[in-house]
Parts: sequence; C-alpha cells; structure tokens
Amino acid sequence: MILSGTQCAELSDAEIIRKSLEQVDYFSCLYQRYGPRLLQYIRRISSYSEEAAEDLLQDAFIKIWKNLNAYQPSLKLSSWLYRIVHNQVISSWRKEHGQQISFALNDRDQFPDTLTEDLQYDDSGEEQMERLQQAIGDLPDKYKEVVLLKYFEDMNYEEISDILKIPEGTVATRLNRARQMMAKYCKKSSTKIR
Amino acid sequence: MDPADKMIQSIKKQQLRPTSRWYYRLREWVIWSLFAISIVFGAMAFSVILYAIQQADFNLVKHISHSNLELLLAILPFIWIAMMIVGLVLALISLKNTWRGYKISPLRLISANLAISVLLGIVVFIGGGATRLEAAFNRTGFDYTSIQERKQMIWSHPEEGMLSGKIEAVNDDELTLSDFGGNKWTVDIKDAFIAPILALDPGENIKLIGVQKSTGIFHADEIRPWGGPGSPSAGPRGKGHQ
Repeated sequence: MILSGTQCAELSDAEIIRKSLEQVDYFSCLYQRYGPRLLQYIRRISSYSEEAAEDLLQDAFIKIWKNLNAYQPSLKLSSWLYRIVHNQVISSWRKEHGQQISFALNDRDQFPDTLTEDLQYDDSGEEQMERLQQAIGDLPDKYKEVVLLKYFEDMNYEEISDILKIPEGTVATRLNRARQMMAKYCKKSSTKIR
Repeated sequence: MDPADKMIQSIKKQQLRPTSRWYYRLREWVIWSLFAISIVFGAMAFSVILYAIQQADFNLVKHISHSNLELLLAILPFIWIAMMIVGLVLALISLKNTWRGYKISPLRLISANLAISVLLGIVVFIGGGATRLEAAFNRTGFDYTSIQERKQMIWSHPEEGMLSGKIEAVNDDELTLSDFGGNKWTVDIKDAFIAPILALDPGENIKLIGVQKSTGIFHADEIRPWGGPGSPSAGPRGKGHQ
C-alpha cells in the first residue's frame, strides 16, 4: 500500500530513505516526489515514448531500491537519483540503438531565458527558436547533456558534476564550449537564410 | 494502476531487498586498501629509483660517451620503473572509484598520487629501505640483475678507463686490486685524486677512473669509494688523501 501525498510531504528525503529501509511502502514517497521530474528528464534526453519512458523509470527505481544502502547523504539525493536514471537511459538506449545517443527536446519544451541570455540570442521568433533547437541537437552528446541539465533541468555545476560524475571544472569547460558551438551554429544558419 | 503503487507491488512480488550496507562498506574499504597498497608500491619503487640514481655516479662517468638517461636505464632494473607505473595507475583507478573520486580532475589525481609516492619514497630511501628492498628482491630467485651487479658491469671496463674491485695491498705509489671478476690488477696511484673518505685499507671496495696501460696494469686518475663519489670535487693526490 502506498502512502498518501500528505503523509509523504511531511517527511524529509533522509527520513524517507530511513523509513523505506524499515518498510518498503515508504519508498513510494520517493517516486511521488521525484518521479514526475525524472520522467520528464527521460523524455527530454531520449526519443522514448511516454509508455517506454515510464517503464524505464520503473526499472530505474527498482535499481535505486536495490542500491539504497549505497547512498551517502554527502550527495544531494536528487543528484543521485538523476545519475541512476541518466545511466539507465543511456545504457538502455545503447542496447537498443547502438553506441550513438540521440538526445531530443520535447515539443512542449520552452527555451529558458537563461539560455537565450547566455547566448546573447535576442530573436524569439519561431524560426529562430527552431534554429536554436537544431543547434542543441547538433551538439555532440557530452556537450548536449550538460546543456540539458543546466538550462532545462535548472541544475548548478555541482549537481551536474555529481550526476555525470565529472569534475566541476570539466562541467564549466563543456558548457562554455557548448555555448560557443551553439552561437556559431545559430550565426552560420542565420547568415545562410538571409 | 498508479506508477508508484506498481513499483511497490513489483518490489514486493519479486521480494527485492536493498543490497546490504556492509557490501558497500567493504567495497569502499577494499578500494581504499588498494589505494594504500598502490601508494606503498609506488613509494617502494621510487625509493629504489633514487638508490639507482645515487649509485649511477653521473658526474664520474660523464666523460664516457653515454647520456645520463642511458646510464640510469643501464643501472636501474626495468621492473622498478614498471612497478612505479603500475602503482600509480592502480592508485589512480582506486581513487577514481571512491564515492567522491570523480570530483578530482585527472591531472590533480596524478599529481597528488605522484607527490605522495615521491615523498614516501624519499622517506624509505633515507631510512635505508631501498637497499634492503633490493637485496630482498634479489634473494627471491627471479632472473633479476641487481643495481649492484649492474653497477659492477658498468665499472668493469678498464679499456674504457673504469675499473673497480677490492684492495688487496697498498704500497707507496701503487696498490694491488682484485676486480669483481677475480682478476688481479696493479694500479699506479701516484698522481691520483683519492677521495678523502677512503682509508685505502686492504679489503676496501673502490672504483677507479684512469687508463689501462696493459693487461693487469692500470694508471689511476681518481679513486673513489665503491658506495658513492666520496667527495664532490676532484683534486690532485694529497689534497684528498691525508
């Protein structure tokens, strides 16, 4: 039997983990709290259907459950959950589609202001936004994943570092390089159109 | 069915339990132990490398047409270089696999591991551990040529002006030497620099730089203790030998 949203809301992450280890029903609180965000993330970083993404999330949570004792509170719980989900998606995608990973933005994704500001990209027309989407799609995976986590999941450098298991300096370098590549792409395709 | 409920039912149905926390503690303990062992390996290897550098007598043999690197490689058994590299790589892998190991950049990881190995290596070397370690390794029965044996080979080329061995007798201007191959030599020491540390007593091991005059006859320009240079600078006989 799962716990109600009100019961879960009263518990901190640490309490949920502690109580889950005593009684598995409490583990549903973790799913209720982070499931929707993680589902959206799976859809964002893969071309999986809603149903396939949900199945993948179920598998990821089973893995989280099995590894619950591995979690150390020195790490933000959300970062740990994102890491497991991220790895699950990548591994599943590679199994089904080979080495190449294809991150895709959802149709409903809005471009965050922080991204257009950082790129100093003033145009907000539909055509320009499409161009920006193509620029992100054109990025190599290692750059694309930091862009998605930074701008679409609103993560800071430390969280991205914990999710992707890379040093914060590398996060900053990749992000910087990705911005340069996106700006270059947008500038190039804008010149072509004109 | 609600996805959270579906997940809980699946866990219950399959009777899944979280892996014991002891497993993770043991894993972390194994990783840190591996790191410690790797560092000790690296330090031991570095101490022997230091010992080889000390024994190479770079300044004494520089007149021979070999580079310092060639000389070091000739005197240093390859196994210690390999051991140092293996130690460093293992330390890197183990540290990288700790809970927060990914936080440190590879460059920092390499620098930190190298620094710890070097510092510990210096401590082992100063404490005399390197010679004992090498001697112990020599006794294992492996096909291993020790630094001392390699050094003897380098200093057993009288035709190139390098001779070594044990003093058998000393007269005013010459001494009788038995080289490490058992051959007897009469050495003219009249104009030789003799390192101040040397007593030139029978039984003392020495190395000499000079010219081979003929079979069994050697003219010495410098005489040094076998274990080291004996003195940083060379000079005519009398300044060094009291």
